[in-house]
Amino acid sequence: MEDKARLAVEQALRSGADYAEARVQRDVGHTLTLKNGTAEPVTSTRKLGIGIRVIVDGSMGFASTNSLESSQIRASAETAVKTAKAAARLISTPTKLAPEKSWEDNWEARMRIDTQQVSIQEKFDVLSSIEKALSPEQVNVSLPSRILLLDDELTEKFYFNSEGSKIRGLVPRISLFLMLTGEEKGKGTIQRMHHEAQSRGWEAVKEWNPPAIAADQARMLGRVLREGVQPPRGEIDLVLGSEVTGIICHESCGHPQEADRILGREGAQAGESYVKRDMLGQRIGSEHVTIIDDPTLPNSYGFYKYDDEGVKARPRTLIKDGIIAELLHNRETAAEFGVSSNAAARSVAYDREPIIRMGNTFMKPEDYALDELLGDIKHGVYMKSFMEWNIDDRRYNQRYVGLEAYIIEDGKIGTPVRNPILEVTTPGLYGSVDAVGKEVEYSAATCGKGDPQQGAPVWTGGPPIRIRRIRLGG
Amino acid sequence: MNRILSASKKLGVKSAAVGFTRSRDQMVRFSNNSITVVNSWQTEVSTVYLVSNGKRAACRIEEQDGAEFESVVKELADSMKVTPRGDVDFGLPKGPFTYSDVEGTYDKRLAEIDTGLIDAAENAINSARKEGAQRVSGVVVSGSWEHFVITSAGAEGSSKGTGIEITVRAFATDDATGQGISIATNLSRFDPGAAGATAGTIAKRARGATAGKSGKYSIVLGPAIFADLIDRVADSASAYTVDLGFSFFQDSLGKKVASEKLTLHDNGRLPNGPGSIALDDEGYPTGETHLITKGTLENYLHTSYTAAKYNARLTGSAQFEAGVAGMIPAPRNLIVEPGDQRFENLLDKAQTGLYITNNWYTRFQNYQTGDFSTICRDGVFEIKNGKLGNPVKGLRVSDNMIRILQSIEALSNERHWIRWWEVPTPTLTPYVLVRDVGITASK
Repeated sequence: MEDKARLAVEQALRSGADYAEARVQRDVGHTLTLKNGTAEPVTSTRKLGIGIRVIVDGSMGFASTNSLESSQIRASAETAVKTAKAAARLISTPTKLAPEKSWEDNWEARMRIDTQQVSIQEKFDVLSSIEKALSPEQVNVSLPSRILLLDDELTEKFYFNSEGSKIRGLVPRISLFLMLTGEEKGKGTIQRMHHEAQSRGWEAVKEWNPPAIAADQARMLGRVLREGVQPPRGEIDLVLGSEVTGIICHESCGHPQEADRILGREGAQAGESYVKRDMLGQRIGSEHVTIIDDPTLPNSYGFYKYDDEGVKARPRTLIKDGIIAELLHNRETAAEFGVSSNAAARSVAYDREPIIRMGNTFMKPEDYALDELLGDIKHGVYMKSFMEWNIDDRRYNQRYVGLEAYIIEDGKIGTPVRNPILEVTTPGLYGSVDAVGKEVEYSAATCGKGDPQQGAPVWTGGPPIRIRRIRLGG
Repeated sequence: MNRILSASKKLGVKSAAVGFTRSRDQMVRFSNNSITVVNSWQTEVSTVYLVSNGKRAACRIEEQDGAEFESVVKELADSMKVTPRGDVDFGLPKGPFTYSDVEGTYDKRLAEIDTGLIDAAENAINSARKEGAQRVSGVVVSGSWEHFVITSAGAEGSSKGTGIEITVRAFATDDATGQGISIATNLSRFDPGAAGATAGTIAKRARGATAGKSGKYSIVLGPAIFADLIDRVADSASAYTVDLGFSFFQDSLGKKVASEKLTLHDNGRLPNGPGSIALDDEGYPTGETHLITKGTLENYLHTSYTAAKYNARLTGSAQFEAGVAGMIPAPRNLIVEPGDQRFENLLDKAQTGLYITNNWYTRFQNYQTGDFSTICRDGVFEIKNGKLGNPVKGLRVSDNMIRILQSIEALSNERHWIRWWEVPTPTLTPYVLVRDVGITASK
């Protein structure tokens, strides 16, 4: 891989690039699916190619090819330079990159059991064991639709730039995805999507206990269907479970604090941000709200050691004690803001330019047990998980519709409620947090951004949190 | 391709479909009236889909050098040996078939890599600014492709096409925005200036928006938001989605699922259609499929697998999808039949309500029931006394898909092609008046 990347960079420089980088990337993946007990196709993907990014006269060009023939690599490097040059006449602010240390490294995410070596039979056995655990007798609910997926990927990247960085990285990922539909006569249907994923080998699946995870989810669906009542409406106290805390941190803190959105670079697609350049240091939430994005969490789904601009990853504290503290930067936005990159540039394939992405975004825990969070609420709702959610493209108006949710009565969890709706503004939400739990859990997700779309693996998470006097109901 | 086919035959696989696509694309992205990056892609992709004794396997190979196709086929065939038996035994469509090019889908000028995309971006930016935009963002992309399919059932054919499209987003202020789109298969039908002007006009009109209020409204949906909803309708009309249990058209064939005003079809052979192609990925000729006729659900889209399972005829809708199913039925060009109203008549019929130009982030609470919400994006305007009124913001459509489809009261005679980041399938759609739509707002 190194000789291909080096060839691309050298050719780009010869063609007139002021800066050049190349990434040779190989992705190999397999997906197995059991649909209502019968097998869907075993599918696999194999991708190998090179992406070349250049800056010429302050203009950025990117070109990719999945031919690794020397002539084709040279041609792609020339195309990147030529198109960047042509665009220079319509550039108002020349693109610059913040200076960063160059690295030479060879890193791998830890993998004890190579998933690629696990037999198809063993993988199907896992899915079959889940299917068995979902029998109505065991979970006490009818599940007319059960889609069970096991997905593994291995990504190998070789990054090389004209400043001397030379980095090889290897990340295995493993995912279990459950799509369950529960049904109860006279009560309708209810649907749940549950995603477990880590940057690890097959050992992760062995630790998850997939049949138990699936059975728990199914029993929950049955209970909500059978016993769920209409949720209360109006101003109320809420406790949000880790899954809901996590999606909130991702959607209304991580995204709006991506510096490329703040600068308008995603304006036509993923949108801009309610956060403006002068809002660093401004209060956006209560003193209990600290939100961190950390790509270095071991085994995490969003794990990486270096980003796709060759910058070494580190945790980023986005909101500290309720105050906007740090933005997510790549080298381009860091130069614009006069800071260093914090290694947020990620690309999901050889043919995608690196753009600013989250890694693993979560709320920092404090010291409340769940019982203590609930104990202080006379009448409220505990929203443990969600199904429907969305947020506007400035990341200000958001909505989360509870899936597993319960009435809180005199500090105790009571009857399930169906589809409680939290529709709230970002400062309205963060400003109402008055206590944060101590047990952190993470959920896996695929975050969409960029054009063409790049689905990036991330974790979202945090502890349960309590928010006071918030409007429930759409 | 023949090598892959022979390898699968040698390994005892009953049916195989092999695909190959060669494409060249270029994309110019811009924001704040300035180009941010130019992307150029050159890609060759091979696909293999195997079917044997009710079992299936598939592989997407995006790798030109060193890909050992025979070993990939062997790996797939081996995986089928231990795969639990599927629920239907079926074969691929029996060829040979005759294919003919679809009219107006290839423009030599677009097959060249340098197609003046930078000029198109500049044209769109200038047009939007002329209408009142302060800042303009967007993306313009063009490309050409050739696609080949050969199957063990005797189908063999190819198709080629070109395309160019632009999405322009104009900002009159940070939260007064508008979007315009132009999409075509040839340069002469492409109009980036018009897309820029539309975006700029909406953005300027959206200045000074006040917070909207929750309630039930008569809504005029612009082509962009209705195209997004129609894309969800087509997803639900895919037999694959039905089979998964994630369709709001479950057990709905022959039933009234929408107002009599709505007629929707998919056409893979539409002349000048941005999604047109001569054959599907199982080698079956593409064609027109009536999905909803005067409110009644007529057909699902099918692959050979779903057609066998639901005892239906093929629709030429098979598209290779490496993620889960290998082959899924999916639409090519979605066409909503026009109504007989002018846009102004729709406002007049609504009298009081909202005109929503665009949306994003559509998510379902339950795919079977169709309960969902989606966020209004870009200009949203009050309708007062049958005329456009003041801009409003911060609103969300929170309703049910079937209820919305059944509450369509009128459609415009004017239609627009839509495809953009949120709407992957090219969709030709009018403006639409819908009654009693649930609208919510954050606090």
